[in-house]
Amino acid sequence: MRKLAHLLQTGEVSSTELVRRCLEQIKKTQPVINAFITVDEEGALAQAAQSDARRARGEALSPWDGIPLAIKDNISTQGLRTTCASRFLRNYTPLYDATVVERVKQAGLPILGKTNLDEFAMGSSTEYSSFGVTRNPHDVERVAGGSSGGSAAAVAAEQAPWSLGTDTGGSIRQPASFCGVVGLKPTYGRVSRYGVVALAPSLDQVGPMARTVEGAAVLFSLIAGTDSRDATSTGASPFQVPVWDPKVVQGLRVGVPEEFFSTGLQPEVEAAVRRSLQVLEEQGAVLQPISLATNQYAIDTYLTLVTAEASSCLARFDGVRYGERVAAEDSNTMFAKSRGAGFGPEVKRRIMLGTYVLSASHYEAYYEQAQRVRTLIKQDVARAFEEVDVIITPTTPSTAFRIGEKRSPLEMYLSDLYTATANLSGICALSLPCGYDSRGLPVGLQIMGNHFREELIFQVAHVVEESVERGAQREL
Amino acid sequence: MIKREEVIRMAELARLELSEEEIDLYWQDLNSFLVSGRKLQQVDVSGIEGTSHAMAVSSPLRSDRVGESLPQDAVLAAGPEVMDGYFKVPRIVEEQQ
Repeated sequence: MRKLAHLLQTGEVSSTELVRRCLEQIKKTQPVINAFITVDEEGALAQAAQSDARRARGEALSPWDGIPLAIKDNISTQGLRTTCASRFLRNYTPLYDATVVERVKQAGLPILGKTNLDEFAMGSSTEYSSFGVTRNPHDVERVAGGSSGGSAAAVAAEQAPWSLGTDTGGSIRQPASFCGVVGLKPTYGRVSRYGVVALAPSLDQVGPMARTVEGAAVLFSLIAGTDSRDATSTGASPFQVPVWDPKVVQGLRVGVPEEFFSTGLQPEVEAAVRRSLQVLEEQGAVLQPISLATNQYAIDTYLTLVTAEASSCLARFDGVRYGERVAAEDSNTMFAKSRGAGFGPEVKRRIMLGTYVLSASHYEAYYEQAQRVRTLIKQDVARAFEEVDVIITPTTPSTAFRIGEKRSPLEMYLSDLYTATANLSGICALSLPCGYDSRGLPVGLQIMGNHFREELIFQVAHVVEESVERGAQREL
Repeated sequence: MIKREEVIRMAELARLELSEEEIDLYWQDLNSFLVSGRKLQQVDVSGIEGTSHAMAVSSPLRSDRVGESLPQDAVLAAGPEVMDGYFKVPRIVEEQQ
């Protein structure tokens, strides 16, 4: 990303050329990959022309002014259709920008378009989109992951240098892992959620996706920080891209939780992750076996809380103020018909489960119980971070699965097995590619850090990234 | 096992029109979901407070200043049905005899 910025600064390349190159690549690969729901060719070129004019006047808004990006379609963009991959919002155009969109615009980043996702971010494969599945650029018979599958695939297919996604239980890290890109789920509250269509407000975070650790760090530095329009963002401190220093791993205590290396883990995934752990050890890190026993409850806890919060958040989609309406004689029937026609199967499933766990007679047994188990998970994670500086695990139990392979909802939910704990405990976590399996599919490595330790996990990721690249060169 | 009537009741509460096939599908899903819910009920949480927020934060207040609002006509333009500066909805209250 520094290289691109340098080329722009010296005038060797213009923003218009960068945007044109991305648009050409999108035209060429979109029919197969389907990473985008909306491509804003006109808008992106206009923003690029403005960026070039600013540069010519010596008034660049940031070093990154003119580098285009793609944005997940559940993040509001003023004047640019935002569908959440739902029939319900297929013609909805927001009147305002999400705070993260405002911030990337203030840095001069042209917006290429809006990327595909599972409807309302509910899913792990982008198969639940009303706009068709996103295919994995490494193998188009396989999923790109989800829910930020479009944002991951766009970066992997070189349609965009970087993108924004959202992560509620793994929705940035899992597709990043499947598509071989870098993705960060920031500490809860470090990035504003204003203007992001909520799935589960106590878990959602917006984060960056890029081809390199540095790219992700730069984009994160542009979006992080307090926002008075999101009351949960107050603990947020600004983030500066660090000076990369491999010495940070000397004496670094790396926790390796045994529960994340157990049955169901694809052997090649384990091998690639262990290789990276060994590299860190060779460079002076201290590997410490730890236990995160409560991770066995993470998916069930996550599922209970996410369905409860989602069913409540989605109550706003009633066909009154925006979205699709199905006419009826009375209001209640109009609400029910509009929602029945507008929502897809996974959204309805979660509304039903969520309504059940929040209903008066089941609230205590299911919802409150899950909130208490969440406390145990938080305590478990806090205890671990008393002993270690970072925790390293595989991002997902397997590499990208085949389209249509996961038939039951529960099977699909299990692909978030290693990622949901970070959302439940609010810590930051990053996925980066650390190798390939025998089919040539990327393997993701997850680095978790305590609250607000993004700088540390970026530093460690940078060391892993360099070693993986050196390893790849050796293999050539 | 929960009863089919309970599934119908949930759909009513959620203001969600479902077909007969969908009711059967989500009836099945609810029952298999309850298995994982019951797994959580085995966990000993005595004396443990619930977490509703990932981070321990207080509720901050911002200064009460008049800011910019969205223009009324632009907001209304997004509505499926509008009339005289209002969103139009079907009748909610019955007429008195």
